[in-house]
Amino acid sequence: MDFVYLLLQLVSAIVVAPLFDGISRKLRAKFQSRIGPSIFQTYYDIYKLLKRGRTKSSSTSYIYQVSPYLLFICAAAMFCALPITYGAQSAPLSQFSDIFVLLYLGALFRFIFIVAGIDTANPFAGVSASREGTIGFYTEEVAVICLIVVMMGTGSTSLSYISSLVQEGSYGYAVPSFSIASTAFLWVMYVETGRKPYDLAEAEQELQEGVLGEFCGKDFAIIDIAILLKQMTVLGFFLVIFMPWAGLVDNPILSLIIFLAEIGFLYVMGVFIDNFGPRFTINKGMKRTMLFALAISCTSLALYIMGI
Amino acid sequence: MQTIYTLFLLASLLSLALYKKPLLAQKVGFGLASVISLYAAVFFFSNFDETLIWKLPGNFISLPQFRLDSVGMFFSFLVSFIAFAVSLFSFDYAKFYEKKANLAVFASLFNAFILSMLLVIASDNVFSFMLLWEIMTLISALLILINDGEGASKNVMIYLGIAQIGASCLMVALIIMASIAGTFEFSKFDHLEMGMGMSITLFSLLLIGLGSKAGMFPFHVWLPIAYCQCPSNASALMSGVMIKVALFAFIKFSLLLPQFAYFGYILLTMGALSCIFGIIYALVSNDYKASIAYSSCENVGIIFLGLGGAFYGLGTNSPIIALIGFIAAFFHILNHAVFKSLLFMLSGNVFTATNTRDMDALGGLHKKMPITSIIFFVTALSICALPPLNGFASEWIVYKTMVIGGIEEGASSRFFFSLAIIALSITGAMAIMAFSKVYGAIFLGVARDTKCVEEAKEVSFSRLLPLGLLASLCVGFGLFMNDVVSILSKIVLTIIPQTSVSTYGFISMPIIVMVMVLCSILPFIFLYLLKANNKEVRVTDPWACGFIYNKNMQIGSNSFTGDIRKALSFLLKHEQEIKLDGYFSKVVYTKKTHDLFWEKLYAPVIDMVMLIADKIGIFQNGRTNLYAGYILIYLCLVLIFGYYYL
Repeated sequence: MDFVYLLLQLVSAIVVAPLFDGISRKLRAKFQSRIGPSIFQTYYDIYKLLKRGRTKSSSTSYIYQVSPYLLFICAAAMFCALPITYGAQSAPLSQFSDIFVLLYLGALFRFIFIVAGIDTANPFAGVSASREGTIGFYTEEVAVICLIVVMMGTGSTSLSYISSLVQEGSYGYAVPSFSIASTAFLWVMYVETGRKPYDLAEAEQELQEGVLGEFCGKDFAIIDIAILLKQMTVLGFFLVIFMPWAGLVDNPILSLIIFLAEIGFLYVMGVFIDNFGPRFTINKGMKRTMLFALAISCTSLALYIMGI
Repeated sequence: MQTIYTLFLLASLLSLALYKKPLLAQKVGFGLASVISLYAAVFFFSNFDETLIWKLPGNFISLPQFRLDSVGMFFSFLVSFIAFAVSLFSFDYAKFYEKKANLAVFASLFNAFILSMLLVIASDNVFSFMLLWEIMTLISALLILINDGEGASKNVMIYLGIAQIGASCLMVALIIMASIAGTFEFSKFDHLEMGMGMSITLFSLLLIGLGSKAGMFPFHVWLPIAYCQCPSNASALMSGVMIKVALFAFIKFSLLLPQFAYFGYILLTMGALSCIFGIIYALVSNDYKASIAYSSCENVGIIFLGLGGAFYGLGTNSPIIALIGFIAAFFHILNHAVFKSLLFMLSGNVFTATNTRDMDALGGLHKKMPITSIIFFVTALSICALPPLNGFASEWIVYKTMVIGGIEEGASSRFFFSLAIIALSITGAMAIMAFSKVYGAIFLGVARDTKCVEEAKEVSFSRLLPLGLLASLCVGFGLFMNDVVSILSKIVLTIIPQTSVSTYGFISMPIIVMVMVLCSILPFIFLYLLKANNKEVRVTDPWACGFIYNKNMQIGSNSFTGDIRKALSFLLKHEQEIKLDGYFSKVVYTKKTHDLFWEKLYAPVIDMVMLIADKIGIFQNGRTNLYAGYILIYLCLVLIFGYYYL
């Protein structure tokens, strides 16, 4: 039964993810005084991509062929690691929903993304593959510092266990280090969704999308879904640790609906930062902005170490 | 067990005896090595729970005794198993060195090297241990010299120099321990009585002595130098198992000391530093073999983190942390032996096919060597600790140790364990970049230097077989993580008795794989339902903004790490060189990264020694008269000294 709910969790996320993207695109257009596309535009995009023919670069090897599917598997498995429809009690799945499993599945996603970019031998793909790795280098430690506070505070690496503790209220915002860590963690997860000022998933060639420069047709459609799913996952990662209120509802389907609505809300709210944020070159941008997040996360860790 | 040692000795002597027929000697030597080490691996594995003792017969001065307990069995198994795969690989690979050295000597040294490692693990006496330790070092130095060439002797001297720094520290530590215990036999060393200061001093000496051999920071400078110089099969053995022998000795000796929590802190700090510096240099290196060599330093760091947790647990009497820490360390030792020897053998395949170690010359090798490429891909995934492979399994347990250690009250333990987790996570992020770069630059994209890659072809089956075997172990150890843990816990329980192990709270790798498989079905259903366009793919040149595509447009290994280099410029030293002669000629642009610690720590010392040696050289000018004068002066001095003071 757990696996059926898990499948439901995954499929519903895939189904609604393009909608959130569409809404945020519409909203962004409104900010820029444009009429903008319909909120269902991302669905149309994916459908159209599926019907398109494909070309590929002559340098590509098997990596190019399998990478769309591998990326999808990673993103989907990451999303499955979020304990939404199942809890700490469900035996086999709670052994899967682990913080490090989630983090390293994300790392696998990044690895394949980089390798797929290099495989196409496209100049832009290479540059953006390098960028992707560099962003990972900057974000990983801030995320992990926040997670250290949570993991050591609860004494577990299991996501389902941590989120059940926060739901019960036996661990949570009453602990100062936890509440400070939440700020920095949300920040990092925003960076991971690949938006400005750190990235802009749908536009610039030298940014994230550059890796995908040589992908087209159904391959590209699958990667598109995978990226949307990964963006949902990283926001969900924040939610299950720091705002796991959706799990308070006993019915798994109801809590799934609430959870997706929360993710959607965060996703669309991201437009406010996205649209008004400036753009930097990567090192400058990271230094200007990530240093704050790093400082916040270090503060929370220091508080934990001092036992406050 | 004495049969195995004797057989290795005979194999070594036999291949040396076939000096006149190197090709035959190579077949015989490596063939025998693989058969004997397979037998040895089976023997050691089946005797895990027993303690074997063997006394050297005959009339020697110290009557050395050899003793293997469970931990020793595990390490002996590791040595002989990896030796089995490597010697199977060398059966064909060694031919590449036909013109450089006599293959009979190569095969003989190879056998002797395995033997010396096995004996070091088994030796139970300070003198025999030190003797065998030095023999092991010397044989490995000779193996480095097999690939004779420009700078070879200098590289060997660097290796031997650092090995000597280590050996002297080790010697001092062991002799002090022996004098406290009142015996030279390790098995009678139990309960050494000493204060905290003494214990920590001895621990630090052991750490320097054995850590330098294991490639710990800041003694890591010999790793890229020695491993790049070696033939790949020798570097696979050295990196795969020789540094594990050092780690074994470290675990064995430091367990004899009275335990304090500080041991854990020292190890955690050194481990964190080794991780970070190892992976930074692996990342910026342009030589794939150097990259792999530096990553040894990183992995030793990870092992030290696990050990740090274990020693902290022993020092504070919390057996659970000690247990999980040792399991983590042993598991990572096992995994590192598998994937690092695999990587070095794969790099040997690449080198024999292309004759270059420069990543900026390679590319697109997947089309020429598909099986090597796929095995490399699996190995790269597993060394980056990506699920569901073995690297992830052991690194997850290391993380688990750190988290459990950090729960305890007390700021210092929390501080050190958080530091370790942060170091490990930075390492993880950079390892992904480093190995995606290595894999991408060698096997993917378009060949940058067509001359090198053009004639490359897939290596023979006998070389691919051991690689495939080890690669399947990478997957197997990951999938059956909990079974490996239960075997390892049996070994660890002999170190810390009176505890019980439970894998409660461990992740389950089969579930991860199951979910991933479940997810993999979805896109196909999705494509089928929406009736995706499945027409054949058109092949074009890569898109280059409307310009004609040129192979130099793809990203090089230098520019790939450009942003990180800039961000870490305070840790790395660059040398940038732009050669521009004439408007129409090509600009040559080179960028080199130097090892900061070599330049700041080692080079000044070496320069000073050279200077002193130069000055002393004046006294030794070869004139007999002058030497007679020295003797006269010395005699006079002794006379004066004797007259006044005796």
